[in-house]
Amino acid sequence: MTRSAFQRSQRREGFALIAPLTGFLLVLLGFPLLLDLVYSISKVGFETIRAPEITGLGNYAKALADREFWSAAWFSLRFGLLVSGIELTVGLALAIFLEPLLAKRPWLMAFLMLPMMVAPALVGLMYRLILHEFVGVAPYYLSLWFGDSPAFFSNDNAFKTLVAVESLQWTPFALLILHAAHSAIPLEVREAAALDGAGEWKRLAYVDLPLMGPAIAVTFFIRFIDSFRVFDNVYTLVGAGAGGATTSMSIYIYQAFFKVGDIGLAVAASMLLLAGSFVVLYALNWAARR
Amino acid sequence: MKRIRRFWTGVAAFVALGLSQAWADVTVLGWPGGPEEAALRKAAEAYNAKAADPDKVKLIFFNRDGFFDKLAADLAAGSKDFDLNLLATYAIGRYAPFMDPITLPDTANDVFGEKVLATMQYGGKQYGVPTDLSLHFMYYRKDLIDKLLSDPAWKKRYEEISQKLFGKTLDPRSPDDWTWDDWQATAMFFTKSINPDSPTRYGSVLQMKNLLFNMMVWHSTARSQGGDWMDSSGKITVDSPAFRSALELYKKLYDAGASPKDSMTYEYAEANAAFGSGQAATMLQWNAAFADLDNKDKTPAVAGRIGTAPPPAGSAGRFTHIHGLGLGLNKASEHKESALKFLDWLATAEAMEIYAKAGGSPALSDALTAKLATDRPDLVKLGQYAGQYGFVMNGGTAAKALQVYELQAKEFTAYWSGAKPLDDALSETSAGMTELLKP
Repeated sequence: MTRSAFQRSQRREGFALIAPLTGFLLVLLGFPLLLDLVYSISKVGFETIRAPEITGLGNYAKALADREFWSAAWFSLRFGLLVSGIELTVGLALAIFLEPLLAKRPWLMAFLMLPMMVAPALVGLMYRLILHEFVGVAPYYLSLWFGDSPAFFSNDNAFKTLVAVESLQWTPFALLILHAAHSAIPLEVREAAALDGAGEWKRLAYVDLPLMGPAIAVTFFIRFIDSFRVFDNVYTLVGAGAGGATTSMSIYIYQAFFKVGDIGLAVAASMLLLAGSFVVLYALNWAARR
Repeated sequence: MKRIRRFWTGVAAFVALGLSQAWADVTVLGWPGGPEEAALRKAAEAYNAKAADPDKVKLIFFNRDGFFDKLAADLAAGSKDFDLNLLATYAIGRYAPFMDPITLPDTANDVFGEKVLATMQYGGKQYGVPTDLSLHFMYYRKDLIDKLLSDPAWKKRYEEISQKLFGKTLDPRSPDDWTWDDWQATAMFFTKSINPDSPTRYGSVLQMKNLLFNMMVWHSTARSQGGDWMDSSGKITVDSPAFRSALELYKKLYDAGASPKDSMTYEYAEANAAFGSGQAATMLQWNAAFADLDNKDKTPAVAGRIGTAPPPAGSAGRFTHIHGLGLGLNKASEHKESALKFLDWLATAEAMEIYAKAGGSPALSDALTAKLATDRPDLVKLGQYAGQYGFVMNGGTAAKALQVYELQAKEFTAYWSGAKPLDDALSETSAGMTELLKP
């Protein structure tokens, strides 16, 4: 076999090997994406879902000019940054300080993971009951001990309550990854630092944290992405909020699609979100390369 | 060989029987999780006991949350998973393009009456059988109101509170004679932070969550001041003194602490929990709540001590929002003939008697209601209030009526929460409604 014939054969083999994955992606991602692109430039509602009327970029302009779109984006951004920051900080603290205990009793990790196992919508419903002034456990004991209980879902407190609920559920995820990263640091490195006279805090600052850097970054971004597109917890706890105060991007899209029936606007908003995600991913990739 | 043949014959017969069952059954998508579900189950049971196999019905239920959105998506997609589906007065315009109009037997008029049948009509056509009627009662604690009407010390305190509120002295009155001012004064009187001697923590419990159903509850307040969505020429009229004063009433009560602190997230269930705990003296709520609230096993704190009255009167009179729930025919159904048989049966006196006794709330003719009065005394009030005080906002059955409710919920809750001034909320609602309801 000549060299070029061999290369052709190799190429054919390569195509054959990636064909199933390519087909899968085309069918499951490519087709919906194409359909979304068509809907996003169309006037389409439930009645005309099979016959959208292409109208141009009006839906994109409408979304970008909509105050609520930006308000939802701002809510999601604030929520995502705050929640992932809290989860990362608490998860990191727990991973470091629980390390000796978890090393001796690894089965404890299973219990710490429990909140993650519950469906977010169910967590929302659970806290709706727990925090209800008349049937909830928390207001009952707070009133008993302190004579009053805060309004957990008032306009002033709703955001804080949502952040707390989301953080309580997903901090175990941060703990899991950071615990694995912390356990993977070779003992000799720490011993060498100790022999050089580094105290516990110095070892943490100059040995542990730098070595855990990639895991910390990955944890933060996974949790940020997940919290940014939050829906279930928020929707079951407070819905879109008074005047739309707790409308996240996902809730905005859901409402435009189902409640208002403006499918073109909802899909255009989704596409803008997708474009935004690409920009962030590209920036991250660029930062990682540097 | 003979055995094998017999075996395969048996299998074929079994499969054929199974398939014919699967193809013939009529699937009904009902309203889940409340008295309507329990009633529909009983009615279906009774129907199946005598229906021919191909006409038998089976029931399916979604979750209540987002029910109408999911139904809209299914109907628009031409789903054949159900033959009959729930229909509500305020959503008929939205679903009519995906449903078939029906013709009910003439006797349906004797069972329901024209006004009630009209709650399931759109564009002059009948789209469903009206199984339940919903309206609002003013729920109140009978024991507390009786004491207020008879105890001189309470009366004196009530007068002081009303003087402070309105600059004039009001005497306590029976809830059947309440104006909104009377209700407001009563709610303040029974609020502990205003009247430390109050036996309840709050005088009322308002449903103020950004939710379309809460707008329906609140609408009685606006309508009783003469408010409507639009006038006869189609001009939107929500930016009016009637809507303004009705919105201000809720805000005043909430800001004064006469409703629970988390009222901005309250809907049906939360309001019932508050009233059922015995910590709220009054509540404007759907008629469907009565059975559970008055049940000693479910709500021991208040059962047996609840009174109901029509919503208080405003300058234009006394009104209650009214809408019907019913069942209609999915255009994509593959069992239309059998499905129509069930609808015809459902529109009979026999079916409605079973339905009502099992907890449903049909609005029936006087003769039928009288027959059911012992088992369901609340149905008497239901029919009476619907006839005397029932209203549907002008535009309330339009194709985009649900979107109007959504818009109002967003804007009005923004005002109640203090996020938006009243002028802005009203003008933005008006602009949005003009767009949504334009011909």
